[in-house]
Amino acid sequence: MAAAIPWQIGNVVGPKNALLLAPEHCARLLKAAKRSLIVVGANATKPSVGLPDLPERVLSLARVMKAQVAVSPSIQSQFSRSGGTQVFGLGLEDLTNRLKDRQWKGFDGKGAYDYVLLIGGLYYFQSQMLATLKHFAPQIRTVSLDRFYQPNGSFSFPSMDVDKWTEGLDTMIRELGGKE
Amino acid sequence: MDGVPARISIKELQTSLASLKGLEVVLGKVVYDDWDEKIGPTPYPSVTTLRLWDHRLLERYEPFYSPLCDMCCLCTYGKCDLTAGKKGACGIDIRTQQGKIVLLACLMGAAAHATHSRHILDYLIKKRGRDHPINLGEEVILEAPIIRTVAGVRPKTLGDLEEVVDYVTSQIAQLLSATATGQESNYLDYESKALHAGMLDNVALEVSDIAQISGLDFPKGDPNAALVDIGMAAVDKSKPVILCVGHNVAPGAETIDFLEKEGLYGQVEVAGICCTAHDLARYRSGTKIVGPLSKQLMFVKSGVADVMIVDQECVRADIVQEAEKVGTRVITTIDQICAGLPDMTAAPVESVIDQLTSGKEPGVLVRDPVKVAQIAVKTAISIAPARRTQTILKDEEVLAAAKKCTFCRECRRACPNDLEIDGAVNEVRNGSTQKLQLLYDLCMNCGRCVSACARHIPIIDLLELANRERVKSERFKVRAGRGPILDTEIRNVGRPIVMGEIPGVIAFVGCSNYPNGGKELAEMADEFAKRRYIVVASGCSAMDMARYHDENGQSLYEKYPGDFDAGCIANVGSCVANAHIIGAAIKIANIFAKRPLRANFEEIADYILNRVGAVAIAWGAQHQKAASIGTGVNRLGVPVILGPHGAKYRRAYLGRSDMDERWSAYDVRTGRPVYVGPAPEHLVYVAETKEEAMVIAARLVMRPSDTSKGRLIKLSNYIDLHRKIFGKIPDDFHLFVRTEMDLPLGMKDELLMIMKEKGWKPKEIPELGSTIVDRLVPKKVQ
Repeated sequence: MAAAIPWQIGNVVGPKNALLLAPEHCARLLKAAKRSLIVVGANATKPSVGLPDLPERVLSLARVMKAQVAVSPSIQSQFSRSGGTQVFGLGLEDLTNRLKDRQWKGFDGKGAYDYVLLIGGLYYFQSQMLATLKHFAPQIRTVSLDRFYQPNGSFSFPSMDVDKWTEGLDTMIRELGGKE
Repeated sequence: MDGVPARISIKELQTSLASLKGLEVVLGKVVYDDWDEKIGPTPYPSVTTLRLWDHRLLERYEPFYSPLCDMCCLCTYGKCDLTAGKKGACGIDIRTQQGKIVLLACLMGAAAHATHSRHILDYLIKKRGRDHPINLGEEVILEAPIIRTVAGVRPKTLGDLEEVVDYVTSQIAQLLSATATGQESNYLDYESKALHAGMLDNVALEVSDIAQISGLDFPKGDPNAALVDIGMAAVDKSKPVILCVGHNVAPGAETIDFLEKEGLYGQVEVAGICCTAHDLARYRSGTKIVGPLSKQLMFVKSGVADVMIVDQECVRADIVQEAEKVGTRVITTIDQICAGLPDMTAAPVESVIDQLTSGKEPGVLVRDPVKVAQIAVKTAISIAPARRTQTILKDEEVLAAAKKCTFCRECRRACPNDLEIDGAVNEVRNGSTQKLQLLYDLCMNCGRCVSACARHIPIIDLLELANRERVKSERFKVRAGRGPILDTEIRNVGRPIVMGEIPGVIAFVGCSNYPNGGKELAEMADEFAKRRYIVVASGCSAMDMARYHDENGQSLYEKYPGDFDAGCIANVGSCVANAHIIGAAIKIANIFAKRPLRANFEEIADYILNRVGAVAIAWGAQHQKAASIGTGVNRLGVPVILGPHGAKYRRAYLGRSDMDERWSAYDVRTGRPVYVGPAPEHLVYVAETKEEAMVIAARLVMRPSDTSKGRLIKLSNYIDLHRKIFGKIPDDFHLFVRTEMDLPLGMKDELLMIMKEKGWKPKEIPELGSTIVDRLVPKKVQ
């Protein structure tokens, strides 16, 4: 694993950068997660992201990881058919503020999250939220699942095109035990 | 107190030599004070005077930091890595360093406004005299609410404002010294200092605006101030064009005066970009407003301006070079922006004109507004005819350059909004500009893509070319800045605001660094005005709100009245006119609630925090001035919502609606602790989308002291807006229900069922309101 250039080239943050993680290798890492949260930003359902069924993929991932999902309120309605997955709507800054609090026991009050996976956020906004977690919640491992390298995460996918990203997400879900 | 004059008051003294009454001595200066309001506890507060108040706020609204950089590079020990708990060589950690950076940002903003106030005051005193009265019209008796509340003085003349500016500048120096290595070491105290800097900023805003309203006879709270042309096509290019860029109206106003004196007004176009444009339109409604800061680069590159007068603040660092490229002559006018140009202030006017018209000097520095006016007008008239026949860059050249695109994507990766510039430019190879047309509304014209392009493709020119037909018809109406809110308006709306019958005051403020273009701003303002909130606007936001027509071809300013009232949209003016929005909250406390405001900051802020449902939305906040204005507003108890780029300010003030213990206040009648949460939930919140911002705004207008009727109206709007935008009832509505009386009648049964599932229990409503300041609880109940 090696460092990479941030998608927004000026977003150089410091000496500690996210470790590059190809989607096909991500499953191995995520198998170690005990209690994970997938955080979905408001961009997730925008056509420009290039993945119209991203909510379904997120829910598939949540199912195979037994993860909870937190979504930006703007797109919560698109997660209405969540099956058995618990989906919570909360502004991402408010959520990040709670995540950095070691006393916070999660949405269901059953304990803190050890892995937080982020997808579908505005690049620069997500970078800032990851910075908060990097500095003030080092106990949480953060993984950026977007197709643009995010240096402030603990781990991040490299920057890649939509096809490779889609294929990678599907591979990851399959290896974690799903049918995609 | 540090830096604060000691005061000796003598109410009445009879001696064999003299008989004295109402005498006050301040450090050797004699002040005759005929203001019958008793001086409050904190006149001219020092850096630490209001520290306790700040810490009370910060206990509830804890600073939330999002570092933009993990390093500290502020001294030669560095670079120091402060990642995740590491300390720098000086001992600083990331939290404290972020507090320091926030303070520095607020100081930059406050210093910009303080020097602005000094410049405009010096100019007006020279022009009108020190004794020129401060006059905001017959319907504004309480004409300087911020200065009265902070400083405890009541300025009556321009000269009276000088000591206020002296105070602001001396405090800024003290705060700046605290940022040096080896000084302040606690993040909360950095935040307290940032709040102080913000308050000083707000004082400076008020000095500037009441001085220029009085000295230049701007509209005095007129809700029917003139409708003025705004847009890229508002400028008549057949005439010589003088473009004023920045925030200080003095050289532009002198230019108009000179044109009028010479009988040339109307024959030469005077246009403006950014707040100078607002203020020139307040001076003469014939001024053309090109637009906000985001239009600066494209308009200057167009070469339409013959002469550009640059004053201060929000001026692009490369704008002089860009102007020179297209033959626009430049006059810089203020110490703060010399731009490497020769200082020709002392040179004879005719020789400067000769230097400019001949092209020997493409730009000059002239620090005298009267001379600037003469030079600008004569130069523009002289060079305009020849410049009209010049072509800046041929369309064919622009299109040919686009075909050099290699699809390397460096433009997109440089774009702050990750716009798909790469695809749009590349599409030109296939003869289509459709994608470029779609980018027009979204692009903030920062030009980073142009700098990043290895093939030197003139992307901004390309954008202009692709949208030329649209640009040609881009002409709208904005209401000239009205200035202050009238005392009579406050009397009319004070009660309904405090009782909650008007759901809230929503202020659209700040710069034009939007995530999705300015249209979102117009959509938000329209929605809140329709819902009968009081909507106010200033600065770039006030301009951008005007730049869209509804289905009837009207801008928001043509659609809604300009009063400070429910269902209206009031443009107060430029950035410094934000003072009137802030002042309105103070006036509600004073005029409606009869709270003494003189040197009584803490009590007024406590009142506003607990009772006045006002929220600011700075959707495109970019500048340090926006940080300082907003932080000052926060100290006064008013929440601010930022657009997503606002996360790069590095700090929010967030409440925790899930932690009941954070929401304790005192019942002002009984003195007992009472739960008042979570209202207002945050003091600074960064919203990811326009939709989230709107819903949060409807939530943040709630206040502990809302009556049940008021809370019902606010809750109705919150739930209805949430349902309209997000398709469901908000998960957290029950947190804002204190008793069943708060529930909207039409939804009561449905909501009660949900509340029962959530285990909701009724809460006490403090009968006479709440306070977070223990000294404000009547002594008899303590």
